[in-house]
Order: sequence, then C-alpha cells, then structure tokens
Amino acid sequence: MASEPDFQPQLRLHPLSWLFVLLAHVRHLIVPIATFVFVGVRRDNELWGLITIVPLLVIALWHQWIYRYGFGPRGLVIQDGLFFRNVRQIEYARIENIDVERGVLHRLFGVALVSIATSTGGKPEASIRVLSLDAVQELRDRIFARAARVEPQTPEVAAPRDEVLLHLSPGELVRYGLIDNRGMFVVAALVGFLYQGGMFELMRATVSVWLTDSRLNEFAALGIAMKAALVVATLVAFLASVRVLSIALAMVTLFDFTLTRHEHDFRIRHGLLTRIALNLRVRRIQSVHQTATLLHRWFNRVSVRADLAGDSGAGQGEKQHSQGRTHWLAPVCLPQQASALIDAALPDADLRGEPDWQPLAPGARARLFRRSVYVLVVLAVLAVVALHTLPGARFTVGVVWTAVALLVLVPIAWLRAHIYVRYTRWALTADAILFRHGWLTRRLVIAPRNRLQSVRLSSSPFDRRYGMASVSLDTAGAGGGRDNIHIRLLPLEVAQHLAAELYHSRVDAVPIGARRATLASVEALSGGPR
Amino acid sequence: MQTEPVDPAAISVWRWQWAIATLVVVVLPTVKLFSQGAAAWAALAVVLALCGSALGWWWPSAYYRRLRYRIDDTGIVIERGVLWRSHIALPRVRIQHTDVSQGPLQRRYGIGTLKLYTAGSRHTMIELPGLSHPAALALRDSLLAESSASGV
Repeated sequence: MASEPDFQPQLRLHPLSWLFVLLAHVRHLIVPIATFVFVGVRRDNELWGLITIVPLLVIALWHQWIYRYGFGPRGLVIQDGLFFRNVRQIEYARIENIDVERGVLHRLFGVALVSIATSTGGKPEASIRVLSLDAVQELRDRIFARAARVEPQTPEVAAPRDEVLLHLSPGELVRYGLIDNRGMFVVAALVGFLYQGGMFELMRATVSVWLTDSRLNEFAALGIAMKAALVVATLVAFLASVRVLSIALAMVTLFDFTLTRHEHDFRIRHGLLTRIALNLRVRRIQSVHQTATLLHRWFNRVSVRADLAGDSGAGQGEKQHSQGRTHWLAPVCLPQQASALIDAALPDADLRGEPDWQPLAPGARARLFRRSVYVLVVLAVLAVVALHTLPGARFTVGVVWTAVALLVLVPIAWLRAHIYVRYTRWALTADAILFRHGWLTRRLVIAPRNRLQSVRLSSSPFDRRYGMASVSLDTAGAGGGRDNIHIRLLPLEVAQHLAAELYHSRVDAVPIGARRATLASVEALSGGPR
Repeated sequence: MQTEPVDPAAISVWRWQWAIATLVVVVLPTVKLFSQGAAAWAALAVVLALCGSALGWWWPSAYYRRLRYRIDDTGIVIERGVLWRSHIALPRVRIQHTDVSQGPLQRRYGIGTLKLYTAGSRHTMIELPGLSHPAALALRDSLLAESSASGV
C-alpha cells in the first residue's frame, strides 16, 4: 500500500484521549499492579504501585500529542508511533467494519472508542482511542461515502431503525443467565484471588476458633437426617447464588441485546454499562453454529454463533475474545428464531426444508464399541499385572473388582458408541454442508459451500481396515475444535464423493439448473449405502 | 484424472535428513555410553540405530510412492501419507499467497518445497514437498495465474 507522500493527516484525537489510553494501559497491567498493591507487599511500600502509573501517563500524553488521522485521497491515513513514526494507510474500499465501543466513562465524556477493520484476520487495522461522537459520525460518513457504498447516515449508537431480527427481553436474559453458567467462572476467579491473597489462612484461623465453639456440639448432636439436610441446603444455596451471579452478569453484559439487519450488514448492540455496537458484514460470515445444551433444551432455547473472516475488533467483550473470531448472533433464542436467523446470516445457502440427513458408516457403532473394549481390556490386564507384582496387594479381591468394573464399563461403552453414531449426521445440499453431532450438547454447524477453503480426506490404518475415511472442511475464521466440520467414520466411497463434491463447489453463484443437477447426483450417491 | 509424482531426487534428501537426525539422536549418546563403559546400553543403542537406519532407508521411498499431486481446473489435490493418508483439495481461488523454499540439502539436490497459504483457520499452510525446484516454480505460476480475485 503506497501512502500518499504529499498527504499529511491533520485531525487529532479528542482532548481527553490520554485519559482513556492511560486507562487501557492500566487495565492491561491491572494484575501486576493489583498484586503489587495488595499482595505480599509491606505497608510502607504500598505507594510504589502508584508510581508505575507515571511512565504510563507520559506514554499516554505522548500518544495524544503524536497521533494524527486524516482522510487521504485513497484511504484513511493514520500517523502514530512513539519512537518509530508509523504511517498507515487503509484503503476506503477495503474497510469492512467500523465498530464503536462506549463504556460508562466514554458516555460520561461523550466519546467513543472506534475500531476500523478490514477483511484481514487478526487485530483490527486501527483502534482510535478516543473520538468525540461528532468525529465518529464524520469518520463513518466520509469512509462510507468514499467507499462508494450506499450507507445512509446512522445517528451514532442510536436506536435502530432497521429490521430487528432479535431483541432479548430481560426475561430472556434471565434464561440466558440460568443456562449459561458464567457465574461459575467469576466464583473460580474469586476463589483464586482470595487464595492468592492469603485469605484462606485467615479463614482457617476463624474456622478453627469456630470449631471449638459450643454451637458445633449442637450440630454434632443433630440427627443424621438433619445433618444431611443442612449439607444439601448449603449446596443448594451455593448453586443458587452462582446462578444469580450468572443472571446478573448476563443482565450487565447483554442488556438490551438487539440484532438488526441493515441492508447487507448485521448490527449488534448490547451492554448495560459498556455499550457495544458491532457491525457484522453478512458476506464475511463463514459458518454458523447452533448449540443446544441440556439446559437449553429444558428452556426450549438454542444459541447461535457466527464465524467471521477476519476480526471485528476491539468492540467485542471478554467472552467473545476467548472464542476467537466468533460472534453471538443470538446468545439465546427460540429454535424457530434460530432458523430464521441462520437463513438471514447465510443468504447464499437455501436452507428451506429439512435437509437429507445422512448417517455414518454402517459399521461405525461396532468399530467404536470394539475400540473401547480393547482399551478396557488392556487396562484390565495392566491392573491385574500390577496386582500380581505389587507386594501386599490383595490379589483375589482386586481381580474381582476389576471384573466388576469391566462388567459395568462395557455396556457404558456400547451406549456411548450407540449415542455417538445415533446423533451424528451430516447433509450436503446444493449450496451448504450441514453437520450435527452430540447428544447432551447438540451442535449444528452450517457452512455455505462457497466459503470453504480446503477439503481434507484422511484415512488412518484403522479406517482402511474398516473401509472408512474422514472428511474435514476448513473455512476462514473457524473457532475451536468442536465447532469444526470434521466428519469421522464415513464409508470410504461416500467420503471420497463428498470430498470431491465439496472441492468442486462453486465459489461463485451457480445457475439454478446446475445446482439441482449436483444435488441429484449427491442424493443418488449418499442414498446408496443405506 | 492422472496424479503426478514428485521428483525422485527428494528421496535422497529425506534419507540424508533422516541420517542426520539418527546421528544426532542415537549415535552421539552411544559414543558417550561406550566411553562411560555402559556396554549393554550402548549395544541397545546400536541396535536402535540400525533399526532407525533401515527405517530411514525404507520410509522415504514409501513416502515418495504415496506423495502425489494433481492440478485440475478447480485447483490442486495433494495426496500423501504412508500410514495416515490424506488427500487435501484446495481450490485455486483460495490460495492467498505461496512460498517456494529450499534448505541447504534441498539446494544440493535441486529440490524445492511449495507452500500454499489459505485464509482458512486450521490448515492455513499446505505443503507440497519434494518437487524439483523449477517444477515448484512452474506449479506456483500456474496456480497463481488464475487466482487473481481472492475474496474471503
């Protein structure tokens, strides 16, 4: 990207930018600083923690002084750099997203953090921290005007005027909190922090005093039923409080979750304290995942996520961060809403009607079961050998127990194989591949065929023995392991045909007639082995 | 459609690589064990080294026989693997950029490795080793010729 040599960016950040840059730095260093201040530091050293902020403040002010941006003839030009001057030019036509994040403090000062992303993966191309709302509006207008896109003016983070696809009411958020056990993480983090802080030492001291208390004698005097009831009550109270915490978290982070469609974009807004506005370009959606855990099904809900090519940037909250480049389309919604959403998210794929679900290879269940049995037998033999060689081990009792364990585990292994095979299905339609798996947590992945990057057909020696193979599909921006399309235990011919079909999928739109022909041939094939 | 093998000179490269690896992993410890007088362990190490050498002689030729590729209108298909076999099919419009790399041993035998990069998430780099260097360059040019518009 050749930058324009004669163009000098002139626009500057909001006068209060340094404050937000400083806060961002502090947030990155919060753990070391907090450790420094709270934990294991003698009282007279406490202020040293604060002194670390001074260089950060200098850096923040310097950043404010140096940073310039401007609208060049070809692209947005950003000049930055503390020691090494860096001039970055982002072509208007390549800018995909302008995401806006506004925390409480941002709203107090009427500013916003803006992230500009192109379709390149990884971090957003530019994070402008921070701009006044007018400047954000101007940025949007000018970028989208130059990009020659029809992008009508939208009042910054205003009420959506577009077609609302999903809005989560507080009731739904309560359900989400109940389903999604995020409170557990908070508790775990809290426990970890307290442990680090030596809080448990304190607690043990308290408890040991408490143990000698006379009231404990009363507890000991209670009947066994009473004791059990008390333990259960404590457990229930703990679980309930975790759930309440989860609900509160859901309320704060996803408050007023609204998904709207604006021409070819999805817009997502949510958050009670930190308002987040995201722009998802539908043509960048690579695949859609629908997940239903046991709890989801109790509430008759599912959750829907979308994988995007490239990253939509700093607008995302903590939880999306851990999921890489995956975004919620619906944290929780009704199954019918989910299919409507998926239709909207994948306009290239015609998903009307139930697809023709295909099972795995006929011998798959037997193979899985046999493998588990082999593993169990090997473990049992090892156990027996260990019992025999170890001095002092009670051989007969050990062998009996091993046999009992085998008797219990073998039916479980069969059940597991049965469930895996029963609940794993795939379907190839004219323009998408669908894969669903899992019994307790049911997952469905849909990837349009024109989005696939590469196809891999692989067979292990064991696969070849059983005449099977597996097919896996790579798309841009796919998330973690279980979300990928990786179909094991397919009959060899079906796998070969599937891989060939996928490989020859049209990347561009195909005339309807051709689509039908492909579909017919696939159905003829995949119907075969049944 | 017919698949093509890579350059047979690659076998020599792999054998050399294997020999060097064996030397480092097995022979050096053996010498050390002998010098310390642990003859039984050293004998075991010698046996291991012999097995390794035999495997190192046989494996590259087996790998060579299994390594094939095919270029068609859609893109490239690479077949490889002796025990765990896989076919990787990559449409040429998905190729983001390519590398042709050569190590010192490969330069000696005129072999180059073609690396194809996609915008995918797991297999972002797909390798085709063992091509003769001019063939690798030609293959790269023919793959890149038509994959102008990337479009993720």
